[in-house]
Amino acid sequence: MRTFMKLAWRNLFRNKRRTLIAGTAIGIGLAALIFVDALILGMEENMVQSATSSFLGEGQIHRDGFRDTQEVEKTINDLEGTVAGLEQEEIVKRFTLRTLSFGIITSPANINSITLVGVNPETEKWLSEIDDAIREGSYFEEHTGQAIVIGSELAEILEVELGDRIVITVARAESGDLSQEMFRISGIYSFGIREMDTGLAFVSLDKAQEMLGIGSGVHEIAIKFTDPEYGRDETHPFWKKYSRNGNEAIGWTTLLPQLEAAFELSQFGIFITAIILFGVVALGIINTLFMSLHERMFEFGVLRAVGTRPGRMFQLILFEAAALAVLSIALGVILGFGITLASNISGIDYRGIEFAGVTFKELLHPVLTLKQFIVYPIALFLFTSFVAIYPAWYAARLAPAAVIRKSL
Amino acid sequence: MEVNAQTEIIVAEGVSKTYSDHGVPVSAVKEIDLTIRTEDFAAIVGPSGSGKTTFLNIISGLDTVTEGKVWLNGKLLSEMSGRELSDFRRDNIGFIFQAYNLIPVLSVEENIEYIMLLQGVPKSERHSKVNKILAELGLSGFENRMPTQLSGGQQQRVAVARAMVSNPSIILADEPTANLDSKTGAELLDLMRELNKTSGMTFVFSTHDPMVMERAHRLVTLKDGQVVSDEIRE
Ligand SMILES: Nc1ncnc2c1ncn2[C@@H]1O[C@H](COP(=O)(O)OP(=O)(O)OP(=O)(O)O)[C@@H](O)[C@H]1O
Ligand SMILES: [Mg+2]
Repeated sequence: MRTFMKLAWRNLFRNKRRTLIAGTAIGIGLAALIFVDALILGMEENMVQSATSSFLGEGQIHRDGFRDTQEVEKTINDLEGTVAGLEQEEIVKRFTLRTLSFGIITSPANINSITLVGVNPETEKWLSEIDDAIREGSYFEEHTGQAIVIGSELAEILEVELGDRIVITVARAESGDLSQEMFRISGIYSFGIREMDTGLAFVSLDKAQEMLGIGSGVHEIAIKFTDPEYGRDETHPFWKKYSRNGNEAIGWTTLLPQLEAAFELSQFGIFITAIILFGVVALGIINTLFMSLHERMFEFGVLRAVGTRPGRMFQLILFEAAALAVLSIALGVILGFGITLASNISGIDYRGIEFAGVTFKELLHPVLTLKQFIVYPIALFLFTSFVAIYPAWYAARLAPAAVIRKSL
Repeated sequence: MEVNAQTEIIVAEGVSKTYSDHGVPVSAVKEIDLTIRTEDFAAIVGPSGSGKTTFLNIISGLDTVTEGKVWLNGKLLSEMSGRELSDFRRDNIGFIFQAYNLIPVLSVEENIEYIMLLQGVPKSERHSKVNKILAELGLSGFENRMPTQLSGGQQQRVAVARAMVSNPSIILADEPTANLDSKTGAELLDLMRELNKTSGMTFVFSTHDPMVMERAHRLVTLKDGQVVSDEIRE
């Protein structure tokens, strides 16, 4: 056994250039697979971050059916109990209460429909990035009830500036009567996302509740977890616990089904990359093994003549394939680690590019995981050994007399 | 047929071999009856294509017969499986080919001990046997050289060492001197003859070389796949 391992290892370095070329090709493939995996993970993290941190949160609670109809009356049931519960949850880092209602915003120059969001500025700033996106004015610094914060594009449509007055019209709960109120623009934000910059207007929670006539009711609780993965884990007991009393608690994968679909597509991309890589590996290994096998026919004849069993010849070729795999994997892991780490540190700039409805706002940092450096190399090793079975079988059943005669 | 395994190492009886060359049958060896006895130092000679290689391959179990029977040490080769034949060759036959006998990635010592490794001989025993045979063959000091660092004559001597080291009952050599100049070839033959005399090792080799034939103690001549003469010389 040891003898054949030694033989295999030395045989590998007989034609250094060929071994190096084959090993590098396979190594680059592995490095590419590692990098693509890391890139996609980084992209997912980035997209989830972008999508959830600007406004959505990683999870939300509503009254059942609110998301479909946005009826003003459908405020969260047992708000006190729910809030008290959330305050005790270990996995919940922050949460904030909101009202959401259709509304009309009117300026002297124009009129636009919006979603009026009633927020509690103190807690809202942890959940959404409106405070960070303020371009002019401030984010509810003066605590007057008449303050309103709108997006830059909406301001353009309405032809208004900071300090200008606008009128908001909403329908009250139960009666449906219209309720109108004058506000002063106290802040203008810009997210760079059209829907957010034209379609939302923020007022204080009390003011919104008063206009809507819903007392102290709210429509939405947005939640940030200690780890965004909780928002993805639909089996976590958290969701069941808060989907009671006619309320529903949902994670961002449900809120953003297109994101999850995009991630599935990415996984498919990795799968395809892996298939291509493994195809290249298969051809590379078979080609390399057969090339070296044909050069050594006579030697194989001698080995068989002096008493090497066919099974040992089989083993020898398998070991040679394994040695090539080990070498390639070492190259690939070093290369893959280097490239991925470098890009992780420097970050890749996709900012401003939109994908699956989400705009990248931060540098993309590929994510290194243990899986990339354990699962892929092991799979590659096993696959290589599997592919080598054919050349090994071929070598094992060479007729010694024939190969000796042919090669002299 | 009765085989006396004590004195008759190889017994070939009615051995024929027919190859198919693109569908055309080629008769390489025809109905050869030949017995190789202990301590023979026999040359198989004959023109090119007369069947020397074919016959050597058949009596060593590297090739199969089309007809006839071969006994080696009293065992009928055709009754053995591929694996049994491998082990049988390992334990009973030493091989020397015309050239490229040695595994290029193994050192002289590793080449010589290869068969003993297959046999599972312990390291210390391997080591002492290798040293002994290297000394006998005038190769001491070469144990760590790689085959490419040896001359053709030295390589053939290492091949002799490998063939002999595990003490097989017979050594078969197909044109062992064909790639050597006549002086080196003669030296190799003298060495083999010496080993044949001192250790009683049986040698069968094929050759074209008159100088080699001269040194043989038995001369088997083939023509068109048949034995045309078999003479013992002193
Ligand atoms: N695999 C094969 N297929 C077809 N014909 C073969 C095969 N092997 C040998 N022969 C034929 O069998 C005959 C005997 O060949 P063999 O090699 O035994 O002769 P030889 O005496 O060793 O010749 P040389 O002195 O040239 O080595 C030749 O005619 C050869 O062409
Ligand atoms: Mg020949």
